[in-house]
Amino acid sequence: MGSPPLFTLILALSALSLRAGDTLLIALTGAFSGGSATQGTSMRDGARLAIQEINAAGGIPVGRHHLRIRVLERDDEGKNERGALIAQELASMAALSGVIGTVNTGVALAGDKYFEHKGITKLVTPCAGSQCMAQWSRAGVRNLSIFRFGVNDGIQSAMAVAELTRRGLTRVALLHDSTNYGVSGRDDLLREIRAQGKVQVVALEKFNMGDRDMTAQLLKARTGGAQAVLVWGQGLEAAIIANGMAKLGLKVPLIGSSALASSNFTETAGRNGNGTLMPETFIEEPINPPVAAFLARFHKAYRVTRIAAPMAAAQGYDCVKIFAAAVQQAQSADTRRIKEALEDLREPVAGVIAIWRHPFSRWNPADLQTHEAFRQDQAVMGMVLDGRIVFSDPADRDRLSRATTP
Amino acid sequence: MDILSFGQLVVSGAFMGLVYALIAYGFQLTYATSRTTNFGQGELVTASALVALSITHLGLPYGLMLPCGLGFGALAGLAMERTAVRIALQEKSEGWIMLTIIVGLFIHSTCENIWGQADRPFPTPIPSEAFQVLGIAITPLELSVALGALGVMGLIELFKRRTLLGKAVQAVAADPEAAGLMGISARRAVMLSYALSGMVAALAGILVAPITTVGPPMASGLVLKAFSVAVVAGLDSGFGAILVGMFLGGLENLTSFLVGSGWRETPGLALLILTLAVRPNGLFGRAAIRKV
Amino acid sequence: MRRFLFLRGAEALALALLAALPLAVHTPYALGLLTLLPIYGVLLIGLDVSVGYLGLINLGQVGFLGLGAYTAALLAIRLGWGLLASLAAASGAGLALGCLLALPALRLQGPPFALATLSFSALAATALNELEGLTGGARGLSFTHPACLGAALEPRAFFWLCLAVLALVWTAMRNLLAGHPGRAFEALRDSPIATDAMGVGSYRHKVAGFALGSALGSLAGGLYAFQFQHLQPQVFTHEFMAVLLLGVILGGRRSLWGALAGATVVVLLPNLLSVRPVFSVLAGAGLLASLVAGVRRLRRRTVDPFRALAPICATALLAAGALLARRTEDWRLAVFALILFAVVVGLPDGLMGFAARSLGGMLRVPPPPLPAPASLEQALPLRLPAPGAVLEVEELRRHFGGVKAVDGITFAIQDGAIHGLIGPNGSGKSTLVNVVSGLYPPSSGRVRLRGARANLPGLVAAARAGIARTFQNLELFGGLSVLDNVMVGLNSGFRQPLALTVAGLGEPGERRAQADALALLAFVGLEGQARERARDLPSGAQRFLELARALARRPSLLILDEPAAGLALPDVRRLIGMIRTIHQRGITVLLIEHHMDVVTELCHRVTVLDGGRLLAEGPPEAVKRDPRVLEAYLGLPGEPGNGEGTP
Repeated sequence: MGSPPLFTLILALSALSLRAGDTLLIALTGAFSGGSATQGTSMRDGARLAIQEINAAGGIPVGRHHLRIRVLERDDEGKNERGALIAQELASMAALSGVIGTVNTGVALAGDKYFEHKGITKLVTPCAGSQCMAQWSRAGVRNLSIFRFGVNDGIQSAMAVAELTRRGLTRVALLHDSTNYGVSGRDDLLREIRAQGKVQVVALEKFNMGDRDMTAQLLKARTGGAQAVLVWGQGLEAAIIANGMAKLGLKVPLIGSSALASSNFTETAGRNGNGTLMPETFIEEPINPPVAAFLARFHKAYRVTRIAAPMAAAQGYDCVKIFAAAVQQAQSADTRRIKEALEDLREPVAGVIAIWRHPFSRWNPADLQTHEAFRQDQAVMGMVLDGRIVFSDPADRDRLSRATTP
Repeated sequence: MDILSFGQLVVSGAFMGLVYALIAYGFQLTYATSRTTNFGQGELVTASALVALSITHLGLPYGLMLPCGLGFGALAGLAMERTAVRIALQEKSEGWIMLTIIVGLFIHSTCENIWGQADRPFPTPIPSEAFQVLGIAITPLELSVALGALGVMGLIELFKRRTLLGKAVQAVAADPEAAGLMGISARRAVMLSYALSGMVAALAGILVAPITTVGPPMASGLVLKAFSVAVVAGLDSGFGAILVGMFLGGLENLTSFLVGSGWRETPGLALLILTLAVRPNGLFGRAAIRKV
Repeated sequence: MRRFLFLRGAEALALALLAALPLAVHTPYALGLLTLLPIYGVLLIGLDVSVGYLGLINLGQVGFLGLGAYTAALLAIRLGWGLLASLAAASGAGLALGCLLALPALRLQGPPFALATLSFSALAATALNELEGLTGGARGLSFTHPACLGAALEPRAFFWLCLAVLALVWTAMRNLLAGHPGRAFEALRDSPIATDAMGVGSYRHKVAGFALGSALGSLAGGLYAFQFQHLQPQVFTHEFMAVLLLGVILGGRRSLWGALAGATVVVLLPNLLSVRPVFSVLAGAGLLASLVAGVRRLRRRTVDPFRALAPICATALLAAGALLARRTEDWRLAVFALILFAVVVGLPDGLMGFAARSLGGMLRVPPPPLPAPASLEQALPLRLPAPGAVLEVEELRRHFGGVKAVDGITFAIQDGAIHGLIGPNGSGKSTLVNVVSGLYPPSSGRVRLRGARANLPGLVAAARAGIARTFQNLELFGGLSVLDNVMVGLNSGFRQPLALTVAGLGEPGERRAQADALALLAFVGLEGQARERARDLPSGAQRFLELARALARRPSLLILDEPAAGLALPDVRRLIGMIRTIHQRGITVLLIEHHMDVVTELCHRVTVLDGGRLLAEGPPEAVKRDPRVLEAYLGLPGEPGNGEGTP
């Protein structure tokens, strides 16, 4: 905080926001219906839980008041044009402090430009497509209000290829869907494979959302002698692939993206899904007291025994906590102040995925990591086992447990 | 492409094609008695399958769910006839095209709101492990589809030819006015044909749902393919639909392999337009002469 | 003059209002909505051509919208074309593809046609999705709209451009539909066979109409693309198509104002749905309206009870949903479906049709006065018969499967004669005449009209060669007025360049045609009913109308297929007089009749058919006494029911 005019400005703005009421307005947006609904609703539920807890504790202390969080929910149905419309609507709201959410890469590409244009702070989660953030460095934006809170496809593809090498598998078939997500994931994977140099792609096949028969693509994988199948798409289509692999006798490991860690994959694939691997930042296991407590609270609040998409739920939860911490640091509900605080979070935030210490820094178009919260060592490989996602490597349990223990 | 892959694609496709043939058979049933086809048939397939899904979620065993689902399909078919078809038939207009589309749209929206927009898995007691026949993988599910489809079609054909009620329906199909003069109600025959058509649609949905998952998006894709089969075979061709259905199913898979999965429907659609242009009565149908 | 001022005034007022709206609207969201209005207007006008005027269920318009959108966008992005050029190219693409689809599809009617168009839409969506290198596939295409004539358009200017396009399309379509093409569209909907028999190629006009509608759809697509500046194949679904159909049907078919009204509803509906109080009020109003109308209909028993009750049920469901549903936007398709159902069953003419009926009574704008009828000499010029046969039939055979309807007939008709054709039912008279007039091709043998080649391919060719006919089962254009029926027949006499009609300069030609048509109507005694709808005439008058329509062709050979059937005796006498006059004008007449007195009085020669073969031929008196004819047709002496008159 430097010159007097700036100080006055901040004070005035704080006063304004306080006079606007003792509430902080946040928008929660994502695919709450449609093919990606499992991820979207889990993220929303995790975020709602965190908001509830904050409000129950009285709200975020700002000045002499406590700001309670008020939520606006918007369902983009996973459709790009709806995402654009919602973004336009939200961006025109004067009192909005921030936006959390988005599941689909295409939606982020279609809508986030409205937020960026108005400088509204957004935490993108659980959207993993690299393009979500790469679009800003490509556009040469100097001052960015968009942050991503999730393990992006760059990291996920590196982990997938590392897993292949670890198991000594050299011939792989790559199946991806035709959406932005699938295509950018394919590009990330191919880049990793090229860089690593030990793996050969024997079949590169595309499928559309809604395809229910992958026999043709899998036959090409089989005749190519694939030792593993990489899939980048949504849960349902990946499940059809798993079922198809079982039918054709293609008994090889199936490695996919984090989108597979949801009930629509496990329920549709059934037994054929066991052994499928995907990168995760959160596993639904009580690895230590803080995580166990979160799981208990979530199960109780939503009356479930299992979270549909655990990673998305945990990320939604932690996002709200980080946002609240930024509000508290900024001592303001103004979205620009919050963004500055986010870029320089001084106090650690106790989340369920990790203890967050300075997750973001000042935006540098040449270094996407400045607005990315996750690094590769924060992700683990999850494995499907009898309808649940578990640790593929037991050693990872300790690693994640240490991350959430102060 | 090696011979094994070719065989696998064709066989898997032919099984799927039997589902299209089953739905196409439903078209033929109503066309026979009333010269109408239900443009909302896809929605009947989906709605019946979703209702059956809910029935299993309530805890009912598969054996009980099946007749309930079929019963719902029959009722839905009757409802379609009453709301969308009867008025157009009475006025001898073609308004039923628009009306069946509209009713289908309503059913689609209702399904979306009750069961959500996404597809869901469908439970089945039939084991899913595939077995090999001459190197080609076939799952018991696919076999059940074939048996169910062929069985029901055979049963209905038997009913039409061997029972008195069935012969009455055929009389109406041949000449509604003459049948009316003989004391056979054309309206009841049309109602029966729509109930059967709805039941057939429900069976198709329940059979195919475990393989393809079930949800509102499946309706539009299915109905167009079934229409292709029905039209290319001929709307009064009976068993011709089975042959054409299996052919189109295999062709879909081969196209998916050779050209790309997104193009799988193209040969079927192109074949539909071509057949309509060159032989509007279908490959196995009969032409009619217009008298002035 | 008053009517002209009223109609044009209304159009100008609406245009001015719309043009002024952007000045009152401030948010980009509202301006975006407003811009959609002319875009959907153009789209629905195009759809109305096939759904309203041609009476077809066209499920392909959304495919043309998508193709036009992508064409315009890709031309602007990849080739750097300007706005107007891209739009023109998009329309051209729509026109070409529309023709391509129409050629196979328009051989079909009803359900198969709907299927063919549905398949086309699915194919278009697949192509747009799969040709990723070109269109970006499922990921979509983002771009900014190009400059228009070198100047970048800001949103308001773009709106005015769209409005200008709408105005142009409106004017062109209005002129087109008021002139001969409009009549041809309506005629071919009522009776494609008669349309062909009048020399107006029904198939050709259907293809042209469909292609025109597709071109407009693609033009709207180009505007759509430049408005949203983002395209995805998934948008152009069958749900979208349902919305378009809703617009056309709700607004009112066969009406430009209906297309505009429908476009307004379609654009505003999603917003109306999300504002619950407004939606509830509208749903309630709809329920009230259908209750009132339904009760009235039930009391009067004018229609089937279903037509009265079903709209009430549908609007009741709508009102219940408005009050009970948690989020009405989720039910948007069901809302469309319920509204569509209520309108299709209860208000088939749509809002505009209803408004026209109810307001038409109040405003009472009289139609423009008709010109004075021309003289008969002008409408039906004197023709000098040349010696020899005008029609020669050689060994003609026509089989239908195993039935030999015409089995080796040879005869000739002398130019300028009245030639009778009689025989028992099923003897092949109508089939023979259908072959001669081109409806069926012969199975073997030759039919040769003087001055033309043998075995003319089809009704249109035969009509152009100089044959005109009436039909045993009337084939009038029921929905057209009496005057318009005759004017369809006049078409080739007054072939105007299309450009003139579109530009609205076809008025003098129209009036000349009307004068000639009135002359013919006066000839058959119908000039007083010129503006009545043909299907509202009594059947006797309808037969005379068919005669007048056939005469409008100025044929060399006029075929009358049982023209006296069902006529009362005074009308029969008038008919005989008319045929005499026609004969005096030099037109050859082929007369099929059962009324023996008519045949005897008029015909110079009579041909008798039996069982598809020629039984006898000669002057009527000779034929009447021929024993074979008596046995087969007229009855032997002493048998009951014998003598003159119908057997």
